[in-house]
Amino acid sequence: MTEPVFAVEHLSLAYPARRGQAAASILNDVSFSVERGQALTLVGPSGSGKSSLLRCLNRLEEPSAGTVRFAGRDVRSLDPRRLRRDAALVMQSPVLFEGTVRDNLLLRPAGIGGDFSEARLARTLVEVGLEERTLERDATTLSGGEKQRVTIARALLGDPRALLLDEPTSALDPPNAALVVEAVSRLRETRGLTIVASTHQPELVRRLGGELIFLVRGEVRTDRRLDAFLAGECAAQGPAT
Amino acid sequence: MNSGVIDLSAWQLGLALLLVAAVVLVSLRQALGLERDLALGALRTVAQLYGVGLILAAVFAAARWYWVVLILIVMTGVATHAAVSRLTRPLPRGYSIAAAALTVSTAATLAYVIFVVVQVRPWYAPQYVIPIAGMILGNSMTSAALAGERLQGELSARAAEVETRLVLGFSGREAVQPLVRSALRAAMIPTVNGMMTVGLVQLPGMMTGQILAGSSPLVAIRYQIVVMFMLAAATALGALIFVRLAVGRYLTPAHQLRRYLL
Repeated sequence: MTEPVFAVEHLSLAYPARRGQAAASILNDVSFSVERGQALTLVGPSGSGKSSLLRCLNRLEEPSAGTVRFAGRDVRSLDPRRLRRDAALVMQSPVLFEGTVRDNLLLRPAGIGGDFSEARLARTLVEVGLEERTLERDATTLSGGEKQRVTIARALLGDPRALLLDEPTSALDPPNAALVVEAVSRLRETRGLTIVASTHQPELVRRLGGELIFLVRGEVRTDRRLDAFLAGECAAQGPAT
Repeated sequence: MNSGVIDLSAWQLGLALLLVAAVVLVSLRQALGLERDLALGALRTVAQLYGVGLILAAVFAAARWYWVVLILIVMTGVATHAAVSRLTRPLPRGYSIAAAALTVSTAATLAYVIFVVVQVRPWYAPQYVIPIAGMILGNSMTSAALAGERLQGELSARAAEVETRLVLGFSGREAVQPLVRSALRAAMIPTVNGMMTVGLVQLPGMMTGQILAGSSPLVAIRYQIVVMFMLAAATALGALIFVRLAVGRYLTPAHQLRRYLL
Protein backbone atom coordinates (compact mmCIF):
# COMPACT_ATOMS: atom_id res chain seq x y z
CA MET A 1 0.00 0.00 0.00
CA THR A 2 1.66 3.22 -1.12
CA GLU A 3 1.14 6.57 0.52
CA PRO A 4 -1.01 9.12 -1.31
CA VAL A 5 1.09 11.80 -3.04
CA PHE A 6 -0.88 14.49 -1.22
CA ALA A 7 -2.81 13.97 1.99
CA VAL A 8 -4.42 17.15 3.28
CA GLU A 9 -6.05 17.07 6.71
CA HIS A 10 -8.17 19.81 8.27
CA LEU A 11 -6.26 22.50 6.44
CA SER A 12 -7.08 26.11 7.28
CA LEU A 13 -5.39 29.26 6.06
CA ALA A 14 -5.91 32.73 7.45
CA TYR A 15 -4.02 35.98 7.11
CA PRO A 16 -3.34 37.87 10.33
CA ALA A 17 -5.08 41.16 11.02
CA ARG A 18 -3.05 44.21 10.15
CA ARG A 19 -3.64 47.88 10.66
CA GLY A 20 -6.74 48.81 8.74
CA GLN A 21 -7.47 45.23 7.70
CA ALA A 22 -9.34 42.54 9.58
CA ALA A 23 -7.97 38.99 9.69
CA ALA A 24 -9.02 37.12 6.57
CA SER A 25 -9.98 33.45 6.49
CA ILE A 26 -8.99 31.94 3.14
CA LEU A 27 -9.41 28.18 3.65
CA ASN A 28 -11.38 26.41 6.31
CA ASP A 29 -11.00 22.77 7.38
CA VAL A 30 -10.18 21.30 3.96
CA SER A 31 -9.34 17.57 3.75
CA PHE A 32 -8.61 15.36 0.74
CA SER A 33 -5.99 13.06 -0.68
CA VAL A 34 -4.61 12.31 -4.16
CA GLU A 35 -3.08 8.98 -5.11
CA ARG A 36 -0.04 8.62 -7.33
CA GLY A 37 -0.82 9.17 -11.01
CA GLN A 38 -4.28 10.50 -10.22
CA ALA A 39 -5.79 13.85 -11.07
CA LEU A 40 -7.69 16.17 -8.81
CA THR A 41 -9.48 19.23 -10.10
CA LEU A 42 -10.44 22.14 -7.89
CA VAL A 43 -13.43 24.08 -9.10
CA GLY A 44 -15.11 27.05 -7.53
CA PRO A 45 -15.83 30.72 -8.04
CA SER A 46 -13.07 33.33 -8.04
CA GLY A 47 -11.81 34.00 -4.54
CA SER A 48 -12.92 30.59 -3.26
CA GLY A 49 -9.37 29.67 -2.23
CA LYS A 50 -8.31 27.42 -5.13
CA SER A 51 -4.98 29.16 -5.70
CA SER A 52 -4.26 29.36 -2.00
CA LEU A 53 -4.92 25.65 -1.64
CA LEU A 54 -2.43 24.87 -4.43
CA ARG A 55 0.09 27.20 -2.77
CA CYS A 56 -0.28 25.28 0.49
CA LEU A 57 0.57 22.03 -1.30
CA ASN A 58 4.08 23.22 -2.19
CA ARG A 59 4.33 25.36 0.95
CA LEU A 60 4.36 28.70 -0.76
CA GLU A 61 1.79 29.52 1.93
CA GLU A 62 1.96 28.48 5.56
CA PRO A 63 -1.36 26.95 6.72
CA SER A 64 -2.65 28.30 10.02
CA ALA A 65 -4.00 24.87 11.00
CA GLY A 66 -4.00 21.30 9.74
CA THR A 67 -1.37 19.33 7.87
CA VAL A 68 -0.25 18.73 4.31
CA ARG A 69 1.62 15.48 3.67
CA PHE A 70 3.61 14.89 0.54
CA ALA A 71 4.35 11.19 -0.09
CA GLY A 72 3.61 10.47 3.55
CA ARG A 73 5.75 13.24 5.06
CA ASP A 74 4.56 16.44 6.65
CA VAL A 75 5.68 19.21 4.28
CA ARG A 76 7.03 21.13 7.29
CA SER A 77 9.66 18.42 7.72
CA LEU A 78 10.85 18.78 4.10
CA ASP A 79 13.22 21.34 2.58
CA PRO A 80 10.76 23.69 0.82
CA ARG A 81 13.15 24.10 -2.12
CA ARG A 82 13.19 20.36 -2.70
CA LEU A 83 9.44 20.06 -2.16
CA ARG A 84 8.79 22.76 -4.78
CA ARG A 85 10.81 20.92 -7.39
CA ASP A 86 9.00 17.66 -6.58
CA ALA A 87 5.57 19.29 -6.55
CA ALA A 88 5.96 21.83 -9.34
CA LEU A 89 3.49 24.70 -9.40
CA VAL A 90 2.62 26.39 -12.67
CA MET A 91 1.11 29.75 -11.86
CA GLN A 92 -1.91 31.31 -13.49
CA SER A 93 0.03 34.09 -15.19
CA PRO A 94 3.17 32.64 -16.72
CA VAL A 95 6.36 34.52 -15.76
CA LEU A 96 9.24 34.23 -18.21
CA PHE A 97 12.49 36.10 -17.75
CA GLU A 98 14.49 38.09 -20.29
CA GLY A 99 16.36 35.95 -22.77
CA THR A 100 15.52 33.04 -24.99
CA VAL A 101 13.22 30.14 -24.23
CA ARG A 102 16.41 28.10 -23.68
CA ASP A 103 17.61 30.57 -21.01
CA ASN A 104 14.27 30.21 -19.29
CA LEU A 105 14.31 26.43 -19.39
CA LEU A 106 17.83 26.36 -17.95
CA LEU A 107 16.85 28.57 -15.02
CA ARG A 108 17.49 26.60 -11.84
CA PRO A 109 19.28 27.03 -8.52
CA ALA A 110 23.03 26.43 -8.55
CA GLY A 111 24.09 22.89 -7.76
CA ILE A 112 20.91 21.22 -8.99
CA GLY A 113 21.68 18.08 -10.96
CA GLY A 114 19.57 16.48 -13.64
CA ASP A 115 19.60 16.27 -17.39
CA PHE A 116 19.56 19.73 -18.96
CA SER A 117 21.05 18.66 -22.27
CA GLU A 118 19.98 20.26 -25.53
CA ALA A 119 18.21 17.05 -26.55
CA ARG A 120 16.25 16.92 -23.31
CA LEU A 121 15.18 20.57 -23.62
CA ALA A 122 13.97 19.94 -27.17
CA ARG A 123 12.15 16.76 -26.14
CA THR A 124 10.42 18.52 -23.27
CA LEU A 125 9.21 21.30 -25.55
CA VAL A 126 7.74 18.73 -27.90
CA GLU A 127 6.10 17.06 -24.91
CA VAL A 128 4.12 20.23 -24.20
CA GLY A 129 3.23 20.66 -27.87
CA LEU A 130 5.87 23.22 -28.90
CA GLU A 131 8.39 22.91 -31.71
CA GLU A 132 12.08 22.35 -31.03
CA ARG A 133 13.08 25.62 -32.67
CA THR A 134 11.09 27.51 -30.02
CA LEU A 135 14.28 27.13 -27.95
CA GLU A 136 15.91 29.97 -29.88
CA ARG A 137 13.01 32.37 -29.59
CA ASP A 138 12.99 35.46 -27.42
CA ALA A 139 10.73 34.54 -24.50
CA THR A 140 9.02 37.92 -24.50
CA THR A 141 7.71 37.44 -28.05
CA LEU A 142 5.74 34.25 -27.29
CA SER A 143 1.95 34.17 -27.27
CA GLY A 144 0.11 33.57 -24.00
CA GLY A 145 -0.45 29.89 -24.81
CA GLU A 146 3.19 29.39 -25.77
CA LYS A 147 4.35 31.09 -22.58
CA GLN A 148 2.09 28.88 -20.50
CA ARG A 149 3.47 25.75 -22.18
CA VAL A 150 7.08 26.93 -21.72
CA THR A 151 6.40 27.34 -17.99
CA ILE A 152 4.97 23.81 -17.91
CA ALA A 153 8.08 22.54 -19.73
CA ARG A 154 10.28 24.42 -17.24
CA ALA A 155 8.46 22.69 -14.39
CA LEU A 156 8.83 19.28 -16.06
CA LEU A 157 12.60 19.65 -16.40
CA GLY A 158 12.92 19.40 -12.62
CA ASP A 159 11.46 15.86 -12.84
CA PRO A 160 8.51 16.57 -10.56
CA ARG A 161 6.35 13.84 -9.10
CA ALA A 162 3.32 16.12 -9.08
CA LEU A 163 2.23 19.04 -11.21
CA LEU A 164 0.14 21.78 -9.61
CA LEU A 165 -1.66 23.85 -12.23
CA ASP A 166 -3.34 27.09 -11.22
CA GLU A 167 -5.98 27.91 -13.82
CA PRO A 168 -3.62 26.92 -16.61
CA THR A 169 -6.04 27.96 -19.36
CA SER A 170 -7.92 30.90 -17.89
CA ALA A 171 -5.93 33.58 -19.70
CA LEU A 172 -5.95 31.80 -23.05
CA ASP A 173 -8.25 31.92 -26.05
CA PRO A 174 -10.06 28.66 -26.90
CA PRO A 175 -7.54 27.27 -29.44
CA ASN A 176 -4.60 27.93 -27.10
CA ALA A 177 -6.50 26.59 -24.11
CA ALA A 178 -7.20 23.40 -26.06
CA LEU A 179 -3.49 22.99 -26.79
CA VAL A 180 -2.57 23.36 -23.12
CA VAL A 181 -5.32 20.96 -22.03
CA GLU A 182 -4.14 18.50 -24.62
CA ALA A 183 -0.53 18.76 -23.42
CA VAL A 184 -1.44 18.36 -19.76
CA SER A 185 -3.70 15.36 -20.18
CA ARG A 186 -1.07 13.66 -22.35
CA LEU A 187 1.54 14.24 -19.62
CA ARG A 188 -0.60 12.54 -17.05
CA GLU A 189 -0.85 9.47 -19.26
CA THR A 190 2.76 9.32 -20.45
CA ARG A 191 4.58 10.33 -17.28
CA GLY A 192 2.19 8.98 -14.66
CA LEU A 193 2.27 12.45 -13.10
CA THR A 194 -0.03 13.31 -10.26
CA ILE A 195 -1.92 16.42 -11.26
CA VAL A 196 -3.80 18.89 -9.12
CA ALA A 197 -5.38 21.66 -11.17
CA SER A 198 -7.76 24.49 -10.51
CA THR A 199 -9.92 25.55 -13.40
CA HIS A 200 -13.03 27.14 -14.75
CA GLN A 201 -12.88 25.22 -18.00
CA PRO A 202 -15.22 22.21 -18.40
CA GLU A 203 -12.92 20.87 -21.11
CA LEU A 204 -9.97 20.59 -18.72
CA VAL A 205 -12.16 18.92 -16.09
CA ARG A 206 -13.39 16.40 -18.66
CA ARG A 207 -9.99 15.66 -20.16
CA LEU A 208 -8.16 15.29 -16.87
CA GLY A 209 -10.79 13.06 -15.32
CA GLY A 210 -10.13 12.07 -11.73
CA GLU A 211 -11.64 13.57 -8.61
CA LEU A 212 -13.35 16.90 -8.28
CA ILE A 213 -13.47 19.22 -5.31
CA PHE A 214 -15.85 22.14 -5.13
CA LEU A 215 -14.57 25.02 -3.11
CA VAL A 216 -16.88 27.80 -2.02
CA ARG A 217 -15.53 30.55 0.24
CA GLY A 218 -12.66 28.36 1.37
CA GLU A 219 -14.77 25.32 2.24
CA VAL A 220 -15.27 22.01 0.45
CA ARG A 221 -18.87 21.62 -0.67
CA THR A 222 -20.36 18.25 -1.42
CA ASP A 223 -23.80 19.48 -2.43
CA ARG A 224 -22.79 20.59 -5.93
CA ARG A 225 -23.14 18.72 -9.16
CA LEU A 226 -20.53 19.16 -11.85
CA ASP A 227 -22.85 19.85 -14.76
CA ALA A 228 -24.93 22.37 -12.88
CA PHE A 229 -21.83 23.93 -11.43
CA LEU A 230 -20.04 24.22 -14.75
CA ALA A 231 -23.17 25.53 -16.42
CA GLY A 232 -23.29 28.28 -13.81
CA GLU A 233 -19.57 28.92 -14.14
CA CYS A 234 -19.74 29.06 -17.89
CA ALA A 235 -22.56 31.55 -17.76
CA ALA A 236 -20.51 33.64 -15.37
CA GLN A 237 -17.24 33.31 -17.25
CA GLY A 238 -18.51 33.71 -20.79
CA PRO A 239 -17.99 31.17 -23.56
CA ALA A 240 -15.34 28.54 -22.86
CA THR A 241 -13.81 25.81 -25.02
CA MET B 1 40.72 81.32 12.27
CA ASN B 2 37.75 83.69 12.16
CA SER B 3 39.78 86.48 10.59
CA GLY B 4 37.88 86.38 7.31
CA VAL B 5 34.35 86.08 8.67
CA ILE B 6 31.93 89.00 8.74
CA ASP B 7 29.69 88.48 11.75
CA LEU B 8 26.04 89.01 10.89
CA SER B 9 23.94 91.26 13.08
CA ALA B 10 20.22 90.95 13.73
CA TRP B 11 19.33 93.70 11.25
CA GLN B 12 21.35 91.95 8.56
CA LEU B 13 19.29 88.81 9.17
CA GLY B 14 16.22 91.03 8.93
CA LEU B 15 17.40 92.19 5.49
CA ALA B 16 17.76 88.55 4.42
CA LEU B 17 14.19 87.97 5.58
CA LEU B 18 13.09 90.47 2.90
CA LEU B 19 13.95 87.77 0.35
CA VAL B 20 11.28 85.53 1.87
CA ALA B 21 8.91 88.49 2.02
CA ALA B 22 9.39 88.90 -1.74
CA VAL B 23 8.46 85.25 -2.25
CA VAL B 24 5.34 85.78 -0.10
CA LEU B 25 4.36 88.64 -2.42
CA VAL B 26 4.82 86.40 -5.44
CA SER B 27 2.71 83.73 -3.74
CA LEU B 28 -0.07 86.27 -3.08
CA ARG B 29 0.02 87.70 -6.62
CA GLN B 30 0.00 84.28 -8.24
CA ALA B 31 -2.50 82.80 -5.75
CA LEU B 32 -0.09 79.98 -4.90
CA GLY B 33 -1.48 79.67 -1.38
CA LEU B 34 2.00 79.22 0.06
CA GLU B 35 2.10 82.31 2.32
CA ARG B 36 1.30 80.48 5.53
CA ASP B 37 3.87 77.73 4.83
CA LEU B 38 6.49 80.29 3.86
CA ALA B 39 5.94 82.22 7.07
CA LEU B 40 5.99 79.08 9.14
CA GLY B 41 9.06 77.81 7.27
CA ALA B 42 10.93 81.06 7.85
CA LEU B 43 10.00 81.00 11.53
CA ARG B 44 11.08 77.37 11.90
CA THR B 45 14.35 78.04 10.08
CA VAL B 46 15.20 80.78 12.57
CA ALA B 47 14.01 78.88 15.65
CA GLN B 48 15.56 75.51 14.76
CA LEU B 49 18.90 76.92 13.72
CA TYR B 50 19.10 79.17 16.80
CA GLY B 51 18.22 76.17 18.97
CA VAL B 52 20.90 74.02 17.34
CA GLY B 53 23.39 76.90 17.48
CA LEU B 54 22.88 77.37 21.21
CA ILE B 55 23.22 73.64 21.89
CA LEU B 56 26.33 73.36 19.72
CA ALA B 57 27.88 76.42 21.35
CA ALA B 58 27.33 74.83 24.77
CA VAL B 59 28.74 71.46 23.63
CA PHE B 60 31.74 73.10 21.97
CA ALA B 61 32.42 75.07 25.14
CA ALA B 62 32.09 72.01 27.37
CA ALA B 63 34.11 69.77 25.00
CA ARG B 64 33.17 66.57 26.84
CA TRP B 65 32.99 63.27 24.94
CA TYR B 66 29.68 62.25 26.52
CA TRP B 67 27.93 65.40 25.28
CA VAL B 68 29.20 64.72 21.78
CA VAL B 69 28.01 61.11 21.93
CA LEU B 70 24.62 62.22 23.27
CA ILE B 71 24.24 64.65 20.36
CA LEU B 72 25.16 61.87 17.92
CA ILE B 73 22.52 59.59 19.46
CA VAL B 74 19.84 62.27 19.19
CA MET B 75 20.85 62.98 15.56
CA THR B 76 20.65 59.27 14.74
CA GLY B 77 17.20 59.08 16.37
CA VAL B 78 15.90 61.99 14.30
CA ALA B 79 17.41 60.56 11.10
CA THR B 80 15.84 57.16 11.84
CA HIS B 81 12.43 58.72 12.24
CA ALA B 82 12.86 60.73 9.04
CA ALA B 83 13.99 57.68 7.05
CA VAL B 84 11.04 55.56 8.21
CA SER B 85 8.47 58.29 7.64
CA ARG B 86 9.64 58.71 4.04
CA LEU B 87 8.50 55.15 3.26
CA THR B 88 5.05 55.29 1.71
CA ARG B 89 4.14 51.76 2.85
CA PRO B 90 4.52 50.55 6.42
CA LEU B 91 7.55 48.34 6.99
CA PRO B 92 7.27 45.89 9.89
CA ARG B 93 9.93 46.75 12.50
CA GLY B 94 10.97 49.63 10.26
CA TYR B 95 12.33 51.64 13.17
CA SER B 96 14.76 49.02 14.41
CA ILE B 97 15.88 48.29 10.84
CA ALA B 98 16.51 51.96 10.05
CA ALA B 99 18.19 52.53 13.42
CA ALA B 100 20.54 49.59 12.86
CA ALA B 101 21.40 50.67 9.30
CA LEU B 102 22.04 54.31 10.24
CA THR B 103 23.94 53.53 13.44
CA VAL B 104 26.28 50.99 11.86
CA SER B 105 26.91 52.94 8.65
CA THR B 106 27.49 56.20 10.51
CA ALA B 107 29.63 54.70 13.28
CA ALA B 108 31.85 52.79 10.85
CA THR B 109 32.35 55.66 8.41
CA LEU B 110 32.75 58.28 11.13
CA ALA B 111 35.29 56.17 13.03
CA TYR B 112 37.37 55.67 9.90
CA VAL B 113 37.35 59.36 8.98
CA ILE B 114 37.98 60.62 12.53
CA PHE B 115 40.60 58.10 13.64
CA VAL B 116 42.32 57.09 10.43
CA VAL B 117 41.90 59.79 7.78
CA VAL B 118 41.70 63.16 9.57
CA GLN B 119 43.21 61.93 12.87
CA VAL B 120 41.30 64.34 15.05
CA ARG B 121 42.76 64.96 18.53
CA PRO B 122 40.95 64.47 20.84
CA TRP B 123 38.68 62.16 18.88
CA TYR B 124 35.52 63.79 20.18
CA ALA B 125 36.52 67.33 19.08
CA PRO B 126 32.97 68.59 18.46
CA GLN B 127 33.78 71.00 15.61
CA TYR B 128 34.92 67.98 13.56
CA VAL B 129 32.76 65.14 14.81
CA ILE B 130 29.36 66.79 14.79
CA PRO B 131 29.35 68.31 11.27
CA ILE B 132 30.97 65.22 9.75
CA ALA B 133 28.48 62.93 11.50
CA GLY B 134 25.67 65.21 10.32
CA MET B 135 26.71 64.88 6.69
CA ILE B 136 27.10 61.12 6.97
CA LEU B 137 23.74 60.68 8.70
CA GLY B 138 21.88 62.92 6.29
CA ASN B 139 23.15 61.07 3.25
CA SER B 140 22.83 57.64 4.82
CA MET B 141 19.26 58.45 5.79
CA THR B 142 18.36 59.54 2.26
CA SER B 143 19.91 56.47 0.70
CA ALA B 144 18.32 54.06 3.19
CA ALA B 145 14.92 55.63 2.54
CA LEU B 146 15.44 55.52 -1.24
CA ALA B 147 16.53 51.90 -1.08
CA GLY B 148 13.62 50.94 1.16
CA GLU B 149 11.10 52.73 -1.02
CA ARG B 150 12.46 51.09 -4.15
CA LEU B 151 12.58 47.66 -2.50
CA GLN B 152 8.94 47.88 -1.46
CA GLY B 153 7.93 49.05 -4.94
CA GLU B 154 9.86 46.27 -6.61
CA LEU B 155 8.45 43.63 -4.24
CA SER B 156 4.87 44.53 -4.96
CA ALA B 157 5.43 44.96 -8.70
CA ARG B 158 7.52 41.81 -9.11
CA ALA B 159 5.98 39.44 -6.53
CA ALA B 160 5.03 36.95 -9.26
CA GLU B 161 8.61 36.94 -10.51
CA VAL B 162 9.93 36.28 -7.00
CA GLU B 163 7.46 33.45 -6.48
CA THR B 164 8.33 31.98 -9.86
CA ARG B 165 11.92 31.63 -8.65
CA LEU B 166 10.72 30.16 -5.35
CA VAL B 167 8.61 27.65 -7.24
CA LEU B 168 11.67 26.63 -9.24
CA GLY B 169 13.48 25.79 -6.00
CA PHE B 170 15.47 28.97 -5.39
CA SER B 171 15.96 30.12 -1.81
CA GLY B 172 14.18 33.24 -0.61
CA ARG B 173 17.42 35.24 -0.71
CA GLU B 174 18.17 34.10 -4.26
CA ALA B 175 14.62 34.84 -5.36
CA VAL B 176 14.76 38.49 -4.24
CA GLN B 177 18.38 39.15 -5.26
CA PRO B 178 17.57 41.00 -8.53
CA LEU B 179 15.16 43.26 -6.61
CA VAL B 180 17.75 43.92 -3.90
CA ARG B 181 20.25 44.85 -6.58
CA SER B 182 17.84 47.28 -8.18
CA ALA B 183 17.07 48.90 -4.79
CA LEU B 184 20.78 49.30 -4.00
CA ARG B 185 21.49 50.82 -7.39
CA ALA B 186 18.64 53.29 -6.97
CA ALA B 187 20.03 54.30 -3.58
CA MET B 188 23.60 54.73 -4.78
CA ILE B 189 23.07 56.51 -8.09
CA PRO B 190 22.63 60.00 -6.55
CA THR B 191 25.98 59.63 -4.74
CA VAL B 192 27.75 58.39 -7.84
CA ASN B 193 26.25 61.22 -9.91
CA GLY B 194 27.30 63.65 -7.21
CA MET B 195 30.89 62.47 -7.55
CA MET B 196 30.71 63.03 -11.30
CA THR B 197 29.59 66.66 -11.14
CA VAL B 198 30.96 67.93 -7.84
CA GLY B 199 32.51 71.37 -8.16
CA LEU B 200 31.34 71.82 -11.75
CA VAL B 201 27.84 73.12 -11.11
CA GLN B 202 27.90 74.35 -7.54
CA LEU B 203 30.34 74.25 -4.69
CA PRO B 204 29.38 71.77 -1.99
CA GLY B 205 28.03 73.31 1.22
CA MET B 206 30.89 72.31 3.43
CA MET B 207 33.49 73.64 1.04
CA THR B 208 31.56 76.89 0.66
CA GLY B 209 31.43 77.18 4.43
CA GLN B 210 35.13 76.61 4.84
CA ILE B 211 36.00 79.15 2.16
CA LEU B 212 33.63 81.70 3.71
CA ALA B 213 35.29 81.03 7.06
CA GLY B 214 38.65 81.98 5.57
CA SER B 215 40.19 78.62 4.68
CA SER B 216 42.28 78.39 1.58
CA PRO B 217 40.32 76.78 -1.28
CA LEU B 218 43.09 74.19 -1.50
CA VAL B 219 42.49 73.12 2.09
CA ALA B 220 38.73 73.21 1.53
CA ILE B 221 38.85 70.94 -1.52
CA ARG B 222 40.91 68.35 0.35
CA TYR B 223 38.23 68.16 3.02
CA GLN B 224 35.60 68.02 0.33
CA ILE B 225 37.37 65.10 -1.36
CA VAL B 226 37.38 63.23 1.95
CA VAL B 227 33.70 64.09 2.38
CA MET B 228 32.75 62.77 -1.07
CA PHE B 229 34.50 59.46 -0.49
CA MET B 230 33.11 59.17 2.99
CA LEU B 231 29.57 59.78 1.72
CA ALA B 232 30.02 57.14 -0.97
CA ALA B 233 30.90 54.61 1.73
CA ALA B 234 28.19 55.73 4.14
CA THR B 235 25.36 55.70 1.58
CA ALA B 236 26.38 52.28 0.26
CA LEU B 237 26.67 50.80 3.74
CA GLY B 238 23.43 52.39 4.98
CA ALA B 239 21.45 51.19 1.97
CA LEU B 240 23.00 47.73 2.05
CA ILE B 241 22.23 47.11 5.72
CA PHE B 242 18.76 48.59 5.40
CA VAL B 243 17.81 46.53 2.35
CA ARG B 244 19.29 43.31 3.73
CA LEU B 245 17.36 43.64 6.97
CA ALA B 246 14.17 44.94 5.32
CA VAL B 247 13.98 42.19 2.71
CA GLY B 248 14.22 39.68 5.54
CA ARG B 249 10.90 40.99 6.85
CA TYR B 250 9.23 39.91 3.61
CA LEU B 251 10.64 36.38 3.61
CA THR B 252 10.10 33.48 5.97
CA PRO B 253 12.65 30.82 6.97
CA ALA B 254 10.65 28.41 4.79
CA HIS B 255 11.48 30.51 1.69
CA GLN B 256 8.03 32.02 1.42
CA LEU B 257 7.14 35.57 0.37
CA ARG B 258 4.89 37.28 2.92
CA ARG B 259 2.45 38.55 0.31
CA TYR B 260 0.03 40.01 2.81
CA LEU B 261 2.70 42.59 3.74
CA LEU B 262 2.97 43.91 0.18
